[in-house]
Amino acid sequence: MSTIAAAPGTNYLNATKGLRSWIGTLDHKRIGLMYLFTILCTFLMGGVFAIMVRLQLGGFNIMTADQYNRAFTYHGTIMVFMVVIPMIPAAIGNFALPMLIGAKDVAFPRINLASYYIFLTGATMAAYTLFAKGVDTGWTFYAPYSIRTGTSASWVLMGAFIMGFSSIFTGLNFIVTIHKLRAPGLTWNRLPLFCWALYATSVIQVLATPVLAITLLLLTFERATGIGIFDPKIGGDPVLFQHFFWFYSHPAVYIMALPAMGVISEVIPVFSRKPIFGYKAIALATFGIALVAFLVWGHHMFVSGQSEFANFVFSLLTMFVAVPTGVKVFSWVATLYKGSLRFNAPLLYAFCFLFVFTVGGMTGMFLAALATDVHLTDTYFVVAHFHYVMVGSTLMGFLAALHFYFPKMFGKMYSECSAKWGCFLIFMGFNVTFFPQFILGSQGMPRRYYAYVPEFKTLNQLSTFGSWLIAAGFIWTAIYLGRALVAGAKAPSNPWEALTVDWQTASPPITENFETTPVITSGPYEYR
Amino acid sequence: MSTDTHTHHFAHHFESADHELEASKEGMWVFLLTEVLFFGGLFCAYAIFRSMYPEMFHEAHKYLNWKLGALNTVILITSSLTMAMAVSACQKAQRNKAIVNLILTFLLACGFLVVKSFEYAHKIHEGLLPGALFHNHEIVHPKAPLFFSIYFGTTGLHGFHVICGMIVILWLLFRTIRGDFDKGYFMPVELVGLYWHFVDLVWIFLFPLLYLVS
Amino acid sequence: MAHGNHNGSHNDNRNQEHSHVILSDAMIWKIGACLFVLTAVTVGVAHINLGWMNFPVAMLVAIIKGSLVALFFMGLKYDKKENSVILIGSFLFLAIFIVLTSCDLLFRPANVYDKPEPFAAAGGPPKYKKPWTAQAVVAAHGKELFMQQCVSCHGEKGEGNGVASTAMTRKPRNFTSGENWLNGRKPSQVFHTLTTGVNLMPSFGSLPAEDRWSLAQYVLSLGPTPPADSVDDLKKVGVADPTRDDGGQPGAAPSIPIDLAIELLAEDGTFKKK
Repeated sequence: MSTIAAAPGTNYLNATKGLRSWIGTLDHKRIGLMYLFTILCTFLMGGVFAIMVRLQLGGFNIMTADQYNRAFTYHGTIMVFMVVIPMIPAAIGNFALPMLIGAKDVAFPRINLASYYIFLTGATMAAYTLFAKGVDTGWTFYAPYSIRTGTSASWVLMGAFIMGFSSIFTGLNFIVTIHKLRAPGLTWNRLPLFCWALYATSVIQVLATPVLAITLLLLTFERATGIGIFDPKIGGDPVLFQHFFWFYSHPAVYIMALPAMGVISEVIPVFSRKPIFGYKAIALATFGIALVAFLVWGHHMFVSGQSEFANFVFSLLTMFVAVPTGVKVFSWVATLYKGSLRFNAPLLYAFCFLFVFTVGGMTGMFLAALATDVHLTDTYFVVAHFHYVMVGSTLMGFLAALHFYFPKMFGKMYSECSAKWGCFLIFMGFNVTFFPQFILGSQGMPRRYYAYVPEFKTLNQLSTFGSWLIAAGFIWTAIYLGRALVAGAKAPSNPWEALTVDWQTASPPITENFETTPVITSGPYEYR
Repeated sequence: MSTDTHTHHFAHHFESADHELEASKEGMWVFLLTEVLFFGGLFCAYAIFRSMYPEMFHEAHKYLNWKLGALNTVILITSSLTMAMAVSACQKAQRNKAIVNLILTFLLACGFLVVKSFEYAHKIHEGLLPGALFHNHEIVHPKAPLFFSIYFGTTGLHGFHVICGMIVILWLLFRTIRGDFDKGYFMPVELVGLYWHFVDLVWIFLFPLLYLVS
Repeated sequence: MAHGNHNGSHNDNRNQEHSHVILSDAMIWKIGACLFVLTAVTVGVAHINLGWMNFPVAMLVAIIKGSLVALFFMGLKYDKKENSVILIGSFLFLAIFIVLTSCDLLFRPANVYDKPEPFAAAGGPPKYKKPWTAQAVVAAHGKELFMQQCVSCHGEKGEGNGVASTAMTRKPRNFTSGENWLNGRKPSQVFHTLTTGVNLMPSFGSLPAEDRWSLAQYVLSLGPTPPADSVDDLKKVGVADPTRDDGGQPGAAPSIPIDLAIELLAEDGTFKKK
């Protein structure tokens, strides 16, 4: 309720200058940008490993089996822990959440900054192993191989352990922020759906990540000292490791997906100029998904030697997750129906999301059904499924959010035409890469193998070609966004004519976000 | 509510010191939730292995000294008492009482660790060590290393939390002596109090689970 | 429009005047006393044999003690409901973790945790004499096994049209025809195929040898008469002396479940540090 008179032209980017003002910043927007920059770097790293994997499988035979093990392990570990999990909550959420609720900052800005440095530390620790002995266990680190392998696995495990705390603290921050810092008039019924999504994501983060932490800690101990509960040599059970691991890692995929869904829930009403269909249903479904997420982890373990009873229970429970997800997809489509569509890049990415995520979700049903999963597990069908849902949701959602918030973040507009081409390239590239993998998998091509029988050659080559298309798409995106940063047109404060309160700020906003604390008097999607 | 609120600086994004206090308390509770799940992994392992090997657990637990365990329980409960006294003393601006109770809490925590170290020394001597280090010859059951992995895992993790708590209590003590806290501002004390009571809470469950298996 | 009054009137969630309850010393002592008493109860009850009730009783006492700490020392009784929800929620999800994990680990097949005699847990002593020869009883046993293990790919009549075959480019063997058997149609060759697997079919080497012979006999019975095995053919697949009922390999050990093998290895001390 203090009135802040900022000098004209002052915004959060130029309010204080110099490296030190960024390194020690408590401004959530700057922290968000720091995350964004770091995650783009780790995304590049993970992408390089993906290209390497695809080159090997495309017939170029550039590595040995051992090197291949390392390549897919790093691809998976980097992408999961250093890219897709923090991508939307840390980079976009940090930037947008306080503004979306009319607050000046998150609840605990110092913890927010600490989160970032913790993330950086863990990422560096894990990345260091690239120059040491590497790690070849797959990103799932299954015992007992992960206990006995002579590689630098412990560093990666501890790196992931440390990054987990970043995730936990971000989640903690967001929960308290949403509970306590909403602007006057912002009741729960008026809370933007991206906030609902971040709230559910944060709940998952704080509940699931500690279990990963204890798992990785126990595993590292077992590697170092032989103390533990997973190695059969000392009476332990390796399948118990899988339970511990997947109790986190399944909800983790909803940490990836839910924020992306939240972004879509924001973008679609803005660009169809229509209120969102089924606001309450979407909010409830978000929490429904978060709850069911915790009940289904055993579906990753159908062939691990798990008891038949557990197999049955997990298969049944897994089917349920389709219900709230379907509610959301139908609501989004219903929002588009009879909307006055504006085909800007954010909406195009939302369309990509709808297609790719739906395909991914439906193929999940094949894997949820125990009988078919037994045949499809550890084949390329699974690889294609999770790339469709993870890339389809998180990456498309992230790109939508990036293009949506770019003017707000940097005060510049990017070239709409370039963005459309980028979207097209990425979408085409993605489908050319991963759709053939459904076919390869159902025909029996195993995953994590560096070679395959000759009959799989053509589709593999096609998939590799697709990977070059995606790479081209990202390079193109980097180019036009980079150009926009340097020489883009000045952005108005609300280029998309959105109604949520975050767009009632300058572009870029002042450090305090709002000149005076806004009072919310209506819902976020009341477009006419 | 006291009028001292206005004299205390609170972060710019909060409306009042009270707002900051309530938000911080909620933040601490969310952190404690993560701690429940963190310890939870080991509790899960305990539940599973005890169900699978009940006789082994019964036999192995006899090598734990329940009297020392009970003593530690009493010590920790007392430290919770003194911590609660310290918190209420800060809230009532009774600085000396707060200092005394914080010191007592710290000393009791030290006592807890001393008793623990006696227990650990005895285990090491008897070869009752976890996992591959196990080399006791009296216990016959092949899964016995599991019990001790869980024993050392849970009590070790708990002990680590006790040590962290002690460090934070020292920092609180320093700030109390410096006169940082009064009726209008006692947030850090309350937050540390919550953490310390949680550490006690975990031990309240660990004691019967490890020492009193029947 | 989202913007209304700019003067920022206070909203409930941001500035609740919260009556802060300060615990009195008397109250603290009272709770402390309860906790000491309950600790004594915990110890006392543990020394009384209540059978299966000991564990629930011990946990009940611990829950009461924990509740006293949480409600009074941690202030949940006087605090906003949200904090209680947070604490109870954490226990709820921990319970989900333990319960669903138990659905697996505590429902594994019994023979892993009982103590069967070594090597008796598997097929046991051979039931059939000379199973590499065509016998009705052996083929009948093979049919039983076929219905359990093979129907999903090979189909109920062995025509290679099972449910899983729809996704395969190279279809499973059609046993009713004598053609295109990759390794040949002699019983020893079919036995070899079962032992090592072929193309998309995994190895069934974990089945006892006589089960594999039984399956071979059954699937061969679905098609035209197979060619006969020579003595050398049989020797190649481990039948050292075809004149003996057991094939002349008294030391041929049946397979055992892997869990049991791991247990036995751990027990005999081979992997223990001395």
